[in-house]
Amino acid sequence: MKKQKKLLLRSGQDGHLSDLRRGQKCVVLNFHNDNAALRRRLLDMGITRGVVIEIKKIAPLGDPVDISLRGYELCIRKADMEGIDIRVL
Amino acid sequence: MKIALLGNQNSGKTSLFNALTGSNQKIGNWPGVTIDRIEGKIKKHDATITDLPGVYSLSPYTSEEAISRHFVLEGKPDLIINIVDVTSLERSLYLTTQLLELNTDVIVVVNMIDLLEKKGIKINLKGLSEAMGVTMVPVSAKTGDGIDRLLNIIFRHKYKKNKHQKIYPYDVETFIQNVMMAQKCDRFAAVKVLEEDLEFRVLMNEETKKAHTDIENKYRMDGEQLVASLRYEYIEKLKKDFVQIKRRKITKSDRADSIFLHKIWAIPIFIVMMMGVYFLSIAVVGGLTSNLISAAFNGAKTLELDFIFTKVIFDHPVAGLGPLLGNWLKSVGASPWSVSLVVNGIVGGVSAVVCFVPQLMMLFLCLGILETTGYMSRIAFFLDRIFHKFGLSGKSLIPFIVGAGCSVPGVMSTRIIEDPNEKKATIALVPFVPCNAKLPIISLICSVFFGGYAFLFALLFYFMAIILILGSAIVLKKILKRKEHSTFISELPSYKAPDFLYIGRDVGDKTAAFFRRAGTVVVFFSVIVCILTSFTWDFKYVDNVSITVNQSMLAGIGNAFSWFFYPMLGGHGGEWMWVASVSSIQGLVAKEQVISSLRVIEAAGGPSIQQLFTPLGAFAYATFNLFSIPCVGTISTIHGELRSWKKTGLIMLCEIVVAWLLASFIGIWGALL
Repeated sequence: MKKQKKLLLRSGQDGHLSDLRRGQKCVVLNFHNDNAALRRRLLDMGITRGVVIEIKKIAPLGDPVDISLRGYELCIRKADMEGIDIRVL
Repeated sequence: MKIALLGNQNSGKTSLFNALTGSNQKIGNWPGVTIDRIEGKIKKHDATITDLPGVYSLSPYTSEEAISRHFVLEGKPDLIINIVDVTSLERSLYLTTQLLELNTDVIVVVNMIDLLEKKGIKINLKGLSEAMGVTMVPVSAKTGDGIDRLLNIIFRHKYKKNKHQKIYPYDVETFIQNVMMAQKCDRFAAVKVLEEDLEFRVLMNEETKKAHTDIENKYRMDGEQLVASLRYEYIEKLKKDFVQIKRRKITKSDRADSIFLHKIWAIPIFIVMMMGVYFLSIAVVGGLTSNLISAAFNGAKTLELDFIFTKVIFDHPVAGLGPLLGNWLKSVGASPWSVSLVVNGIVGGVSAVVCFVPQLMMLFLCLGILETTGYMSRIAFFLDRIFHKFGLSGKSLIPFIVGAGCSVPGVMSTRIIEDPNEKKATIALVPFVPCNAKLPIISLICSVFFGGYAFLFALLFYFMAIILILGSAIVLKKILKRKEHSTFISELPSYKAPDFLYIGRDVGDKTAAFFRRAGTVVVFFSVIVCILTSFTWDFKYVDNVSITVNQSMLAGIGNAFSWFFYPMLGGHGGEWMWVASVSSIQGLVAKEQVISSLRVIEAAGGPSIQQLFTPLGAFAYATFNLFSIPCVGTISTIHGELRSWKKTGLIMLCEIVVAWLLASFIGIWGALL
């Protein structure tokens, strides 16, 4: 499987949270997620519609990612971020 | 009065618990230090307070969070103290909005008030308290500020009754009120109906269902998402009214992370740090002190101290406690075997383990610093990618590092891992981490055979442990059918200065526990070893002239198992093979007893460690003892977590087979070279 180099999402474009690069900010639009427990956890951690998220740090090996929201920092795997639709700010 | 202490992970619940009860429960700067409920009495008051594992909401996610939910809902506390971290107020108050829907009174304790200025936060607590309809008390659990005021409010009942403040928009509130009236249930249950919680589905009737669909359509969200969003919206509004934050662009934590989480340097820094911990403990502190303490107990002709790669020799005889005591006993006419029991059995056995205390204290100190600064969370963060590949979670690293102290808390701390299979795999692997009781085995074998280079060989054992853990993890991944989706969601706390007062007490507690084992288990078994080596099966005294120690009862027992150790030890030990087998068996009680037993038998006329082992044999023997079945304490903890003797037994069987194969391989392969 060839690794595709993902295009940089620009301001105003829509995508998944996992597509963002370090330092980018976005607003959460919606969830699509089959894993009910994970979804509940993300909601409890404050990832709700309209919240602003910034990609703060990326682990040295590329995954997981440290995001900043609601005044605190959360580590999350890229796979778990795929189900979050966002718009880049 | 029954008080429950509840709050987010890493919000300082246990620090507050310690401040209120005067105890020194384990704290640390990573999410999930508290893994079980702990009860304590508040000083000078008739009240029990229960410290609970941290939760972000009343919907549990991991097994340790379920404990908290269960206690709050079923344990019927009279009062909930909801501890809130002022540096992450929004997320903390989310839990508060849930607690205020219960039928229990709540006091919100705003913790880490000492960090307000540093973080640039201004908060109008009085206004916030009015708006939420709940008593709020600012404290700093770390410095103790505000604790007296909190006690005063609790015990003079100066807190507000829970009046179920309405926090949702009008139509949602109407829905909740209607459900409460129709079903005669409380507010908590009615909100659960709105969330479509499966447990509360019975409260949903046709009429409610219709109203529910209307609301979902209006807000274009399902119930669960809606409730979470509305709670956060409510808090955002409060925050706008009562809190001002001057946020610095780059915090100190960010700056530290640009080094400790650096793309290239993070992992080398981690490796160097861990090597540094063991270098300090084994090479610096251990080398200097262990011979010194041993000489103080047992006497020595010359005093040899290892200092890193050099040997410092004091050519001066030392009269030790044991020989002095022996001479005195002889002078008052004690029989030779009772002298031997005291000198070789008790003093010899205890000193064999006590001489490792200084290096253990150093190890505890270093691990304590790692735990309280917040570096542990970073380790879990950057190793998750690697560990995930091996079917483990980044959080598995926390049990492994805790396990380097002791496997028992190591196994218990696996509760922070969300995925049940990753958790099971981690439990099975924690005993492979050399714990503090195994450190004496490593340290002794290395210093006897490898002198000044002991530290490098000691690291080799740790390296082997890592290879073994990752190798076994791959096999376990194949055996345990893994769920499609495993998750890793963890807060990344800011760095904190280590709390040396707490660490000091913690090192003291752990050292005291080690001394207790030395004073009880080790004394007991050393005496038994001494007696069993002093007599033959027909109760003749072993005088080492006409009857040698090889004819003793213990030799008889040991010889029955000697075959097991032939492959790893080769023929070198010859007739002494039983010494290795009985010592190893005693490791089941406590691993440090292996060393103690070797020393006691040596003193009773048995072989010295050099006579018993070749350097290679010693290495193989140590390998076996490190990686085979752990001590009984760990076995029962593993059973406690897995709740199955079958699985526990299977893990033990695998461990003994793996350890035996590995040790035998080293022994045989080395002999062929």
